[in-house]
Amino acid sequence: MRTVAVIQSLSASSPEGVLLDIAAVTILLCAFACLGSKLFDRYVIYYGAQSIVLSFGAAVVAIHQHDAGLWALAALTFAIKGIGIPYGTRHFLIERFALKRDIALSTGLSTSLIVGAFLTAFAFLVIRAGTVGNAFVAEAVLPISTAVILLGALCMVVRRHTIAQLIGWLIIENGVFLGAIATVATFPFIVEAGVFLDLVAAVLIMIAFVSGLARQLAEASAPELRQLTE
Amino acid sequence: MTVLALIVVLLPLLPAFASALTARARPLGVTAVFAGVATLAVAVALTVHVGGGRRVHGLSGFLYLDPLSGFFLVTIALVVGLASVGSAAYMRAEEQRGELSPLQVRLYFIFFAIFASMMLASFETGNLGLLWVLIEASTLASCVLVGLEGKPVSLEAAWKYIIISSFGVTIALVGTLFLYFAASRLPGSPTEHLTWSYLFAHSGGLSGESLRLAFLLALIGYGTKVGLVPMHTWLPDAHSEAPSPASAMLSAALLNTGMYAIIRFQALTHAELGTHFAARILLVFGFASVIIGALFIVLRGNYKRLFAYSSVEHMGIISIALGFGGVLGLYGALLHTLTHAIGKAVLFLTSGDLVLRYRTRLIDEVSGVLSVTPLTGAVLLLAALAVAGSPPFGLFVSEFTIVRAGLARSSIVLVAALLVLLAIVFVALVGAAAEMALGGSPARPTGEPAYRDRSGRLLAGTPLIAGLVLLLLLGLWIPGGLDRLIMHSIHAIS
Repeated sequence: MRTVAVIQSLSASSPEGVLLDIAAVTILLCAFACLGSKLFDRYVIYYGAQSIVLSFGAAVVAIHQHDAGLWALAALTFAIKGIGIPYGTRHFLIERFALKRDIALSTGLSTSLIVGAFLTAFAFLVIRAGTVGNAFVAEAVLPISTAVILLGALCMVVRRHTIAQLIGWLIIENGVFLGAIATVATFPFIVEAGVFLDLVAAVLIMIAFVSGLARQLAEASAPELRQLTE
Repeated sequence: MTVLALIVVLLPLLPAFASALTARARPLGVTAVFAGVATLAVAVALTVHVGGGRRVHGLSGFLYLDPLSGFFLVTIALVVGLASVGSAAYMRAEEQRGELSPLQVRLYFIFFAIFASMMLASFETGNLGLLWVLIEASTLASCVLVGLEGKPVSLEAAWKYIIISSFGVTIALVGTLFLYFAASRLPGSPTEHLTWSYLFAHSGGLSGESLRLAFLLALIGYGTKVGLVPMHTWLPDAHSEAPSPASAMLSAALLNTGMYAIIRFQALTHAELGTHFAARILLVFGFASVIIGALFIVLRGNYKRLFAYSSVEHMGIISIALGFGGVLGLYGALLHTLTHAIGKAVLFLTSGDLVLRYRTRLIDEVSGVLSVTPLTGAVLLLAALAVAGSPPFGLFVSEFTIVRAGLARSSIVLVAALLVLLAIVFVALVGAAAEMALGGSPARPTGEPAYRDRSGRLLAGTPLIAGLVLLLLLGLWIPGGLDRLIMHSIHAIS
């Protein structure tokens, strides 16, 4: 019964609940900011800000549960996703390759923002009240995390650049992580650690692809990679 | 048994360690052959132990083996064994031609080893979270293999592969979270809420709404790895661009790893949601895959892509079999997993010989294989017949079982549709293979022989012959041990 007890104790009106709620809303706003930013460095900075808020949210749940594992994850999220990836992307990829500051978009900014708004509404409609149970903070956070996942996917769709698509995928990860800490915070630590390690490895491999292995890939935008069609 | 289970995961890593000492393809290949064969032997020993319905539990559910895991373990170990021998020959030939640098040879053996090890490990864990971690890790390792050749097209394929697969697998993670959430009302510790055997024993107590979401998300997520339509778009690119032994591993091992996860999730839904819920969805995805697979097989063009679309089609057939359900359906699904794995491993290894000899991947530019290299030509023709489901090979028996399951448990319309699609695939696939194998003399002069020395030819030929013989045996006679293993596997999930 421990899981239920934890979720139920994290009620929407408790101080931790309110803090997590605010964090979730900020994360959603950051996802919109990413979606709406036209300049590359802004896009990356908003992603970093989102990750920092997420690590703050994880810390709130860690305080609530006195969970050392979650503390470690919060610290790792802060260091790697919040600082490391945005810094690395800016200094090693954008500046070294002197990428154009503009992100190539396949859809106009306003159109993608409107689609984003519809996706957010859709997330709230799909995750109906009652999936989680009333009056718990998870009830508010779960639709938000679903919306962040969808917005991340939208970023991947409307961005043409490989690095921008990679960051879209990372926004999706943030959405998943937010949903996880709000609903199932007692996820066994070894699994959470494994998930985190995998994500880091995925990012490293992707960055290796973009930078070392293939300069041409970094300069190409994904639609130019069109030899394999059939 | 715990020790054996660990050995199965560690043995395939030998070539990775060996690559710290040398970057030559020859010693690394020998190590890979040794590791592959030894892994297969240990996997068989382990499977014999669990095959009788016994289970291995350990490390609070993180280590778990039942007959179903044993079945997949032995299937994948067989593919790893065949592909290791194939790799030893293929990489040596590529090295001799100077196509691959020492770094690429080293990278190939390191990531081939990690890839094999992660896949085998995923069958040995009972923890669905750890299963996710291992499957994602196998994606990452195989991505390096896809992009190994470093050409713009292979990098494009690798990029597409990693972005689509990682995204898909992330969805599977959300599914796993929902499953965990669905279990939150059960007694037991948080770790148990992710342990498959615990969840299966208590599957009546899972909350239905979350479970439904969990299954759908897991099916879409792991279905991306399986290559179910419409999540299959990465598959033909990755399969055609990877070095051929790695394509064999992708098609014959990786896809099955995803299917294994889906089977585990499906088993959990039965008690709470009934068998129809999962079955209908699997049938839809299955038929979509067979239809799209058949259409693209007819298109032809590149023979490695052709074989890749044949994998999409066969994964569709397996999900249709899971959708038909019942003992017969599951029997067909599992037998088809094994026979398709062997057949496709042989076919992709053959495609490696063709690539080495003809230096092209286009069907139209390959002809007269039978006269140029009789062994490769004969294997190509026979393996295509086998994969297309012709008797007397194993795939005929498994497809026949699936059709029988459909007649017994589903509508005749579905079965008829399946048979029509299978006939189309048969004509197209065998037609393409016959054109390549028979045909007149090659339109343009072929390059030098694929393998320069006798040992290279022997290494390359062994897995082809071994695979074909196994397929033929399975078509004529299913050994009692295998039959018992499959029956116990079915029992473990129903």
